[in-house]
Amino acid sequence: MVRIADVFQSVLTYAIPLMVVALAGMFSERSGVINISLEGTMIMGAFTGILFIHTMQRTDLMSGHLLLLTGLLISMVTGILYSSLHAIAAINMFADQTISGTALNIFAPAFAVFVARSIIGVQQIPLGNVFRIAKVPVLAEIPILGPLFFENAYLTTYIGIAILIISQIVLSKTRFGLRLKSAGEYPQATDAAGVSVVKMRYAGVLISGALAGLGGLIYVVPISTEFSPDVAGYGFLAIAVMIFGQWKPLYIAAAAFFFGALKTISFSYSSLPVIKDWNIPGIVYKVLPYVITIIVLFLTSKKSAAPAALGEPFDKGKR
Amino acid sequence: MNNLKRKRFSLTPALPSLISILIGLLAGIIVIVIADSSKALLAVRNLLLGPLYGIYNPNQSSLTGIGNMLFFMIPLLMTGLSVGFAFKTGLFNIGASGQFMAGSYVAILLARKLTGIPNSWRWLVALAGAALAGMLLASIAGILKAFRNVNEVITSIMLNYTSMYLVNHLIRATGLYDPLKNRTLPVQTEIPKFGLDKLFPKSFVSGGILIAIVIAIICYVLLYKTTFGFELRAVGLNRHASRYAGINEKRSIIMSMALAGLFAGMAGGMIHLAGVGRAIQVRDVLPPEGFDGIAVALLGLNHPLGIIFASLFMAYLKVGGQTIQTLGFAPEIINMMIGIILYVSAMAVLIRKLLSIRAKKQSETKALGNSDGELYAVHDPPDPGATAAAEKLPPESEDSTNMAISAVQEEIEEDKHG
Amino acid sequence: MENVIEMLHITKRFPGVIANDDVTLELRKGEIHALLGENGAGKSTLMSVLFGLYEPEEGQILVNGAEVKIKNPNDANKYGIGMVHQHFKLVNNFTVLQNVVLGVETTKRGLLSLEEARNKVIELSERYKFNIDPDALIANISVGMQQRVEIIKMLYRDNEILIFDEPTAVLTPQEIEELMAIMRQLIAEGKSIIFITHKLKEIKMVADRCTILRKGKHVATVDVADTSVEEMSELMVGRKVDLTFDLGKPKLGKTVLKVRNLTIRKEGHGHQTLDDINFDLREGEVLCIGGIEGNGQSELVYAITGLLRDYQGQIILNDKDITNSNIRFRNINGIAHIPEDRHKYGLVLDYTLEQNLIMQSYFEPEFQRRGLIKFAQIADYADRLIEQYDIRSGQGRNTLARSMSGGNQQKAIVAREMERRHNVLIAVQPTRGLDVGAIEYIHQQILKHRAEGFAVLLVSLELSEVLGISDRILVMYNGRLVGDLDPQNTTEQELGLYMSGAKTEKVTVHE
Repeated sequence: MVRIADVFQSVLTYAIPLMVVALAGMFSERSGVINISLEGTMIMGAFTGILFIHTMQRTDLMSGHLLLLTGLLISMVTGILYSSLHAIAAINMFADQTISGTALNIFAPAFAVFVARSIIGVQQIPLGNVFRIAKVPVLAEIPILGPLFFENAYLTTYIGIAILIISQIVLSKTRFGLRLKSAGEYPQATDAAGVSVVKMRYAGVLISGALAGLGGLIYVVPISTEFSPDVAGYGFLAIAVMIFGQWKPLYIAAAAFFFGALKTISFSYSSLPVIKDWNIPGIVYKVLPYVITIIVLFLTSKKSAAPAALGEPFDKGKR
Repeated sequence: MNNLKRKRFSLTPALPSLISILIGLLAGIIVIVIADSSKALLAVRNLLLGPLYGIYNPNQSSLTGIGNMLFFMIPLLMTGLSVGFAFKTGLFNIGASGQFMAGSYVAILLARKLTGIPNSWRWLVALAGAALAGMLLASIAGILKAFRNVNEVITSIMLNYTSMYLVNHLIRATGLYDPLKNRTLPVQTEIPKFGLDKLFPKSFVSGGILIAIVIAIICYVLLYKTTFGFELRAVGLNRHASRYAGINEKRSIIMSMALAGLFAGMAGGMIHLAGVGRAIQVRDVLPPEGFDGIAVALLGLNHPLGIIFASLFMAYLKVGGQTIQTLGFAPEIINMMIGIILYVSAMAVLIRKLLSIRAKKQSETKALGNSDGELYAVHDPPDPGATAAAEKLPPESEDSTNMAISAVQEEIEEDKHG
Repeated sequence: MENVIEMLHITKRFPGVIANDDVTLELRKGEIHALLGENGAGKSTLMSVLFGLYEPEEGQILVNGAEVKIKNPNDANKYGIGMVHQHFKLVNNFTVLQNVVLGVETTKRGLLSLEEARNKVIELSERYKFNIDPDALIANISVGMQQRVEIIKMLYRDNEILIFDEPTAVLTPQEIEELMAIMRQLIAEGKSIIFITHKLKEIKMVADRCTILRKGKHVATVDVADTSVEEMSELMVGRKVDLTFDLGKPKLGKTVLKVRNLTIRKEGHGHQTLDDINFDLREGEVLCIGGIEGNGQSELVYAITGLLRDYQGQIILNDKDITNSNIRFRNINGIAHIPEDRHKYGLVLDYTLEQNLIMQSYFEPEFQRRGLIKFAQIADYADRLIEQYDIRSGQGRNTLARSMSGGNQQKAIVAREMERRHNVLIAVQPTRGLDVGAIEYIHQQILKHRAEGFAVLLVSLELSEVLGISDRILVMYNGRLVGDLDPQNTTEQELGLYMSGAKTEKVTVHE
């Protein structure tokens, strides 16, 4: 028999990285820059973070959650650096944002495989999975919520939830959020108000890079013991989550949870009670997130919630 | 239209592509040197020689290398045409991977199941099936774009994964699965070699390359010599003006996307019917051919004839990547180079356009002074250089330059998400 | 009197051209100073210089007597210079308050704190009787209201020098009256205003002085009270302008276009509704649909040409019911259309001139055989039109439309539409944004067309055009036809009453 808490935890391991990366996409797109390079940025972030963790674990220089946190920091910095390439192309060079993103998606896995092979001989980087928290003291005793959130948990889950809360506050309650959104909706207004559109868009893309890099690592850590530079299309799935979440943090969280549940079912539907009896082939659960996104796009096409100036380059000297 | 004829063979428009290629090659060489400087010289030589490595290798003829290059060229040319053709109608077909996958599957399915048809021409049916599969998949994106203005990039990404999971599932469900090798079973029918195997002995060369080149030429005629192409390109450049002019812009969008899918589906079919033992690996990974196609199309300036050259170049590079593998360098270096080339050319294309816009903007201001003169020439005859580039806009079009930029964007991708 | 702004001997060059040539503008404290000039006379450049978008090569700017350097819009704001742009700089899905504070937000412990700002907005709204809800979304308020938000934005920033760029183009006559009252109140409070316009009547109504630019040069600065409209017009254009034509009696032929009970109910889409439109158009007449922008004229034209399809009623073209026909069918069967927006609809800017000249006829047997284009025939046709209509461009038919001047782009459209097979010409604001020379040319072409027996449906916002070249005027207000007037027996005042909805009558068709 499968425990509900186990299923829930499984859902979280899929949903949290999806949510973080979808929020990454949101920051970029709310500032007006299309970012389909999430996949590549995840790979880069996961790659450097895991390479670091792998090296530390092998040499015993650092361990425990300090190691994880340092790894996350490295992933974020990598993401920022990598996405700055997209920022330069999209914001300064007026490049086509979709093509620039595609280029970064092509480059990242090739780079990671190449470097991994050059450094450690094979492309798979082994990773000691030692970051699981069996029970969070005190909190695990809370009825219902305790087993769901505080048993067999990962620090990354809490970090993800913190990122959600902060994103929501930043976007709706701060000066920065207001300016960022204005750059994505009508940059001419941002500019006329004396706010630099370029700065806002850089901020959006770089935050996006930081979160996507971090998302790459927290995708890998709970589910694998090795990383063969690849995040299985999660970066693209995150775009679906972002659209399904209508570019709004709380909706994105709900969409990520829903898609995470579908992922869990697609992997383990045969052992899940009730669902097992539906006799729906696993393939349905696998393609459902993508199909649903297409349907949502179809239904919402008349009043899209996408930022109005998404993908439009802005040249300050011109009115 | 006639002036296109004159411009076509000028190198200037290809300059950004050449620059991107140079930067990409340079980056590749630097990576090789950093990775293993002891073998770097040999590796760079082999990389640059690509299919011509026979020059230094008495056991291997350069003709074999060229034959292999022509084989690698097939999917690059076909997906390049797929992406480039859609670009011409203002659509970004990022879904070539999924269409390629669907085409591959249907080709193998038909090649294995239709045993009633003799081997000698079963490939033709299988290839037609592959084309149809790619076409149907891409049409979904085209229809959603045409009728609901749903961004085709997002639809195509979603369809890529839908296609990938479905194909991997169907390979097992339809009994095409080889569990030992985790891939599809071999097929017994193949595209004729048309004598190419005599010309390029011991190579992978397939008659598919001839079919692909013929298709590229047909594409060229279609786009530049027919009313159909006139419509497609008009829609790509300005959807509104095309509609105003009575062009059925919805049909153009769907047709363009469908043809793009047809090419990508054929690419999948051609590779798996080439008689070289290629099979679909059952992994949850999108085939890279679709993304290569984006780079090819961009390097080839989205022009069918340019795409032939671009795919030739990329195939050359791929063979080079294979040859340096024997020296211990991961072939991923080629994809890194493709990524860099794509990144640079994404900017280069726009840099060129922006330069011309800037030049125009300057002369636009020039027109401020002599607006009457342009119409009536009451002062001096208008300076052809100035008025040629002069664009004076009504006050309502204050965002004129933004319009100009977005027109550049429009050439590649028209609308935002949703 | 004290000058708050002095722009002295400003010269702004762009490679090969002088956009502002030794232009001087002095703005006195407490005055409304009109800046008048034709399209392309250098008004925008001058204001861009004042706003820090361009740096002039020569000349200096003094604010309150002290020389300043204005390098960007923030500097301009620092010196108390604010601007209501012609295209409002408002974020559609933000509230009024969010738009007002954007860029000068107040925060408390890192979070937005807008209570004081809200109070100030409410207070300003009350002081100027703006009647604005600070929490309304911009998308949900009228254009006139949006302009008030722009004014509040300036006042919130305590700007003393206010620039209004063509502010009346989007307003109804009542709103224009109200705006003028607001402008007067503002100067009474000691603010100073630069009022950019090309409408002489409005200058007469509200401005104290007027600076006139022509071809980048300062022509004159005059006291409005001592200068007649005719004098200002002549200074602006450089010669006497007489846009009046002697039309003569129309030689009416058969009815070619019948519109019956045309109605668009669907809200949303940003479309104005249409309410039971009925009229006939006959050969040999210019029928003008007059009215203020956004009262349904565009929708009417879109419905007749087929660009918009969600309508009820009936449209009959040359005795064929085209109610449900597509655009191509309507084009082939007699409709030619000079569209309102020549860059959106009129031209494929990245096609050549010759390609643009065959946009609606490339499929005719003359230009193609079994789908293959006949390039030589197209070239001949294009060359003929280019010569006949005197379309000027750098490389003849091979010039990209994008690189042609606005006037020549419009001539290309006029040539294309007038030369292809049709008998109904729909011309929507055909002279918009053009200079006087081009306007005269287009008017002549339209009248020549009329004389040749074609039917012309003219949609215009310009009173002079409405009264000057039409045989009959139908006035549209709020999606309805409210007046059927004879231009010979109508005054501008009367027309204005209909256009503003103050006077209405039922327009019917006698079968």
